[in-house]
Amino acid sequence: MAAGFVPKILVLATERCAYPGADAVGKAHQEYGSNVYVFRVPSPVLFPEDFYLGSFARGIDGILIAACGSDCPYRGAYDRLAKRIDALTARMRRGGLEIERIRITAICTVCIKAYLKEVDEMNAKLLKVGPVNRAKARLLQEQAREELRSSAAAVAA
Amino acid sequence: MNDKTASGSGPANSSAEPLRIGVYICRCGGNISDVVDVERVAEVCRHLPGVVTSNVHTFMCSDPGQKNISEDIRNEKLNRVVVASCSPFLHELTFRGAVQRGGLNPYLYEHANIREQCSWSHKHDPQGATAKAIRLIAAAVGKLRYAEPLDQIRLPNQRQALVVGGGVAGMKAAADLAGRGIPVLLVEQSERLGGQVNRWNRVFPTEQPAAELLGALRKQVEGHPRIEILLRSRVTKISGFIGNFQVTVEGQIGPAGRRTEVAVTVGALVMATGFLPYAPRDGEYAYHQHPAVLTTPEFLELLRHAPDAATLQFQGRPVRSIAFIHCVGSRQVEGVQEPQADGKINNYCSRVCCTTVLQQALTVRQRFPETEVYDLHQDIRTYGRGHEDYYIQASQAGVIFFRYHGDEIPTVALRTDAPAGAPPLRLTFKDYLTWGEELTLEVDMVVLAVGMTAGTCQSLVEQLKLPCGEDRFLQEIHPKLRPVEISVNGVLLAGAVQGPMNIRETLAAAGAAAVKAAAILAKEQVELNPYVAQVDADLCEGTGQCVEQCEYDGALRLVQVVNGDGKARQRAEVNPGLCVGCGACVAVCPARAINLNGWRLDQYEAMVDGLVAEAPALVAATA
Repeated sequence: MAAGFVPKILVLATERCAYPGADAVGKAHQEYGSNVYVFRVPSPVLFPEDFYLGSFARGIDGILIAACGSDCPYRGAYDRLAKRIDALTARMRRGGLEIERIRITAICTVCIKAYLKEVDEMNAKLLKVGPVNRAKARLLQEQAREELRSSAAAVAA
Repeated sequence: MNDKTASGSGPANSSAEPLRIGVYICRCGGNISDVVDVERVAEVCRHLPGVVTSNVHTFMCSDPGQKNISEDIRNEKLNRVVVASCSPFLHELTFRGAVQRGGLNPYLYEHANIREQCSWSHKHDPQGATAKAIRLIAAAVGKLRYAEPLDQIRLPNQRQALVVGGGVAGMKAAADLAGRGIPVLLVEQSERLGGQVNRWNRVFPTEQPAAELLGALRKQVEGHPRIEILLRSRVTKISGFIGNFQVTVEGQIGPAGRRTEVAVTVGALVMATGFLPYAPRDGEYAYHQHPAVLTTPEFLELLRHAPDAATLQFQGRPVRSIAFIHCVGSRQVEGVQEPQADGKINNYCSRVCCTTVLQQALTVRQRFPETEVYDLHQDIRTYGRGHEDYYIQASQAGVIFFRYHGDEIPTVALRTDAPAGAPPLRLTFKDYLTWGEELTLEVDMVVLAVGMTAGTCQSLVEQLKLPCGEDRFLQEIHPKLRPVEISVNGVLLAGAVQGPMNIRETLAAAGAAAVKAAAILAKEQVELNPYVAQVDADLCEGTGQCVEQCEYDGALRLVQVVNGDGKARQRAEVNPGLCVGCGACVAVCPARAINLNGWRLDQYEAMVDGLVAEAPALVAATA
């Protein structure tokens, strides 16, 4: 692992639960690493596998999917999301990317402790595994993208 | 750094105009600037691609702060705006308004959260916080490169309401809606209004007769010129969306029980279908194994008809002792209680049963002074105003309390060997008001304080795809901020359909639901947020994979279109009234032809690029 490595952590936080949860952490003046960046999303179910892999290829080291869990306001979205992440981690495992880089969890609007625990744990894991092998991630991203693209042909056939 | 953000300020979207982005950084009176070096952030951001102005202001949300934006849009010909300040939940709408007042589409605006998620979270890391603020703004700038002007979706509004369920919640909602001038169709499945409250004698904490309370509510709805009441009727079919729900109500009219069907179109709908009392399984606490094991509603029925006497009588026998058991069907513990039909236990508190038990126990002591009362509880949760008085009065009236633990629930056994006239039931439990001593009680009657269960509106839940919680009750959007709304627009929640509530809370919820429905129906058109899926017709290959992902009937479908070359082909089409904007469709499109407005995939990718841009690249121009 490179000395002075500071991982970049992306948190995909649901608008209804985890994003207000991350706000609650700030409102409580609880501190965590400034290497953690939160994106607001309606539901992370919208991201294809290649988005995650592309983010790793570009320079993100860990992604925390902070969803609503069973409180998800969208029907079936959480189950679909969980399946997508299963497929993603399977691909990462096959392609030699550390699966610790991705984690799906539920964070509620007042889950301050859970949020802090998740980002701290992710930080600790990433310090252990070091930076992403960007070339590998790029390769997997292209592979996932290509599979999705060719799924059109499979449907047509 | 990805080439998309590195390629200068050229337009990324379909419009040909070059990007002219204004960045505004708020000090928040020190809340941000005490930690984040905002001057430096402004300096660095000035050099982000497409940014033409980057300023610091003490309070961006103030009038002068907002004016700054509107004026710059006009003077500097800005076509995109970023404000870096507090959480978007506070001021995103404020700044969209300022952008609009400047003459720009309000959706060409991005918000960077550098207070809750930066200065307040990284107080002891000012350098890190400053770098993070820059990256968050770079991400927002990146997102704006792919932003498109959006309009609120406007749809015609059918300005009448449907209220499903004619209990206290339904009557209250109907009365309040009609009072605001809105025509209401009130549908009740039984032969009379009043719901569960019809079964009750007196309501706590006022001790008002339930019939009187119901009478007052009925007076407000019966004969009201704007309320049509359909009894013995059910909503059988429902489809559509806010402003335009198509509803079929099936009912029976007249003694012949002739079936009728009514079709109506309503703009909003209030779910007031209430709850069902928990029905204990056969054998649960000896229920249905002995006639003297009753539920609280059954015991109320007994009390209603029993004449006052020294001792309560049941089936011709004196009841010298009664044991109430709390939390039957509520606060169940995994592995201790048998799961319900769906495999889950009811781990929630039903909230009203404690006070119900105390009220009934007190009634027994007052009307039948020689009947002993025992109370077996996990906790006493008399949480409402005036409820605790019941506990105090019951204690003073000689009710004897025991406390059991949820993982060691009492057992009720039949005393087959009991001599004639002796108590037929034996309770065994550990009492934790003492030291966990094992006790047995021999009693003439056991009353099970049953909780509330959901499942009164399964057909509507399925047809409208209404989300339910783990407890099976309908789930609001936000328990505090949006407590009577549900993720299906135009549907409001009134009362216990959403979870255990007492009458006071139910009526408060019903009133709130009525106001929300009235606000929807006050307008000629309904306006919806534009954050729905959109199909790029040029890219769509019509494979239909997106449609398979969609959980909302009619929101996304395949249609035949004829091309310029005269050939018919399929492509996906979104109904913006039905799309809820979850994005499940986006992930599977092989052509990236479908996206969520305002949350496009390419926007997220550009945001990642903004985050990962190396600091030297960001600050190079400042050297």
